[in-house]
Amino acid sequence: MKKKKSKHEFRANTLPALLTVGPVTLLMVLLIAIPLIYVAVMSFCSLDEFYNVTYDFTFDNYIRLVNVDYLKIYAQSLIIALVTTVICIIVGYPFSYIIARTKSKKKQLLYMLVIIPFWTNSLIRVYGWRNFLGTSGWLNGILMNLHIVSEPVDFLFKRGTTILGMVYCLIPFMVLPLYTAIEKLDTSLLEASSDLGAKPVSTFIEVILPLTSSGIFSGSIMIFIPCLGYFFISDILGGGNSDVIGNLIERQFQSGNNWPLGAALSIILIVITLILVKIYQKMGGDMESLGV
Amino acid sequence: MKKRLLGLLMSVAMVATMLIGCGGGSKSAESNGELNVFVWTEYVSDAAIQAFEKETGIKVNVSTFSSNEDMLAKFKSESEGTYDILLPSDYAVEYLVAQDKLIELDKEKLPNIANINSAYLNPSYDPDNRYSVPYEGGVACIAVNKSKVDKEITSYDDLFDASLAGKVVVLDDYRAIIGMTARSMGYSMNETDDAKLAEIQDKLLTFKDNVKLYDSDSPKSALISGDCTVGMVWSAEVALSMDENPDIDIVYPSEGAYVFLDNWVIPKGAKNVDNAYAFIDFMMSAEGAKMNIEDFPYLCPNDAALELMGEDYVNNVAKNVPAEVISGGEFVKYLDSAVLAKYDEMWTKLKQ
Repeated sequence: MKKKKSKHEFRANTLPALLTVGPVTLLMVLLIAIPLIYVAVMSFCSLDEFYNVTYDFTFDNYIRLVNVDYLKIYAQSLIIALVTTVICIIVGYPFSYIIARTKSKKKQLLYMLVIIPFWTNSLIRVYGWRNFLGTSGWLNGILMNLHIVSEPVDFLFKRGTTILGMVYCLIPFMVLPLYTAIEKLDTSLLEASSDLGAKPVSTFIEVILPLTSSGIFSGSIMIFIPCLGYFFISDILGGGNSDVIGNLIERQFQSGNNWPLGAALSIILIVITLILVKIYQKMGGDMESLGV
Repeated sequence: MKKRLLGLLMSVAMVATMLIGCGGGSKSAESNGELNVFVWTEYVSDAAIQAFEKETGIKVNVSTFSSNEDMLAKFKSESEGTYDILLPSDYAVEYLVAQDKLIELDKEKLPNIANINSAYLNPSYDPDNRYSVPYEGGVACIAVNKSKVDKEITSYDDLFDASLAGKVVVLDDYRAIIGMTARSMGYSMNETDDAKLAEIQDKLLTFKDNVKLYDSDSPKSALISGDCTVGMVWSAEVALSMDENPDIDIVYPSEGAYVFLDNWVIPKGAKNVDNAYAFIDFMMSAEGAKMNIEDFPYLCPNDAALELMGEDYVNNVAKNVPAEVISGGEFVKYLDSAVLAKYDEMWTKLKQ
């Protein structure tokens, strides 16, 4: 009798739960939890003389990372990410505002202008910039033909070009959440504000900005974090002169052939990411608008 | 009823295709077997592989890698017998031999080794070619755009000249750049002595301002477009950029260059050893080697193939690297992981 009841319970409660949540949990464990644990374990491993990973526990990998040279690259990486994020806000905000407030059919068009390049492989677009900005590229051709400059200008392979590439690749992540936030903005609040005598500038600062700040926050976090890891942009447009944390990781897994050190670097990147997300939550950002 | 009939028909079709598939498989296995080769990308000609398949009836399965480290990592993680042939560079051969992973080659089965120029035999990484035979190779040499650079460049040391600030493209490869710096000071590319490494580091860091671009994938593009007017890149890249931009000239450094040679080896546990010998011997034949250098104009140690290529190729010093460049050059060696960590630190300092 008891057995029968438990069977019934299994069918009624456990089975549906297993069937619905089970596959997702399994996927999460297989694809996220286990690889992460593997990376964490790897970061405490050593290398033998043939660069094989051995499971001898060591802190050496982390000790090597607390080093002025690495700290300088972390700092450079954070500066690049910060500047990129600020530029994305300054450029992205007016743009999203215009899209959200456009009533006509042009709205679709403006929206597509952001989305369609986003669908194209970013490597191809980044190489496109390289051709465009090169000494024999289009931009220099135009400038020389207009007699604005007499010698080709050296645009490429500087920290500035890396930032340009980052802004270019990541700006949709700022425009889209901002667009959603501005779209949701109730226009009657703006009318009320102006009825009460506020000038457009103070309406913007006092009403619009606070109400759309969630979009700025989630856009910023979605730009800042990938910036730390987008090694291909600093390789292709920065010419390898402005490394980010992603370059350090890539190098240890490839030419450096030191997986434990690469794993330790990855853990540091994950920790930085978690701290940033925590700050974001503290400032009142909600996880749903990050797509979590 | 109709549905059941349809289902029946479909299962019959499925079984039939499966059987046909099996039939095909066993037939080719019967003929002359298979061969699993693991080689560099963009390095071994498809035409040569097809010619080998046609001649011998052996089916060749090609897998590719893009760095020695990549190859070694996969080779270590796959089960024994996955690959019958590998194509490692000099130092990777040394590494595989040190770990006892390769079989000793029976030269009786490789008569075409007679086609290989003796300058490329008996290399430092594998004395008497006990485990490996050379395929193709290259040199990290200097490219100069004559129309834009006045300074005469003849050596690695000249690349450090202050007049070249912001003009140079170099390989994004720490052993190459640190090694080049060491050679410019008369040291070896494989120094392990701390005092010497400290000196090398001081000089290396003065190079920072001269480098405009680190690029291993396609440094020729920056040379052709003129974004960089001096380069320290692989000889085949210079050869290809010279075809596109006649202002570019090739310079073999007077200190003796960083040289690499890639080699055929057979790993222990290979399942198709006889086929592997047949493949390697075919690649060393005049026709096989010719098909390869036609597609990938790297340094060719095969004299018989060079004879077939004609004078234009032989006289092109970028494509047909002179033998004395190779004999005067130095190979990268496998270094202890503690020493390599020091190299890695230097590189991090250069790139911050």
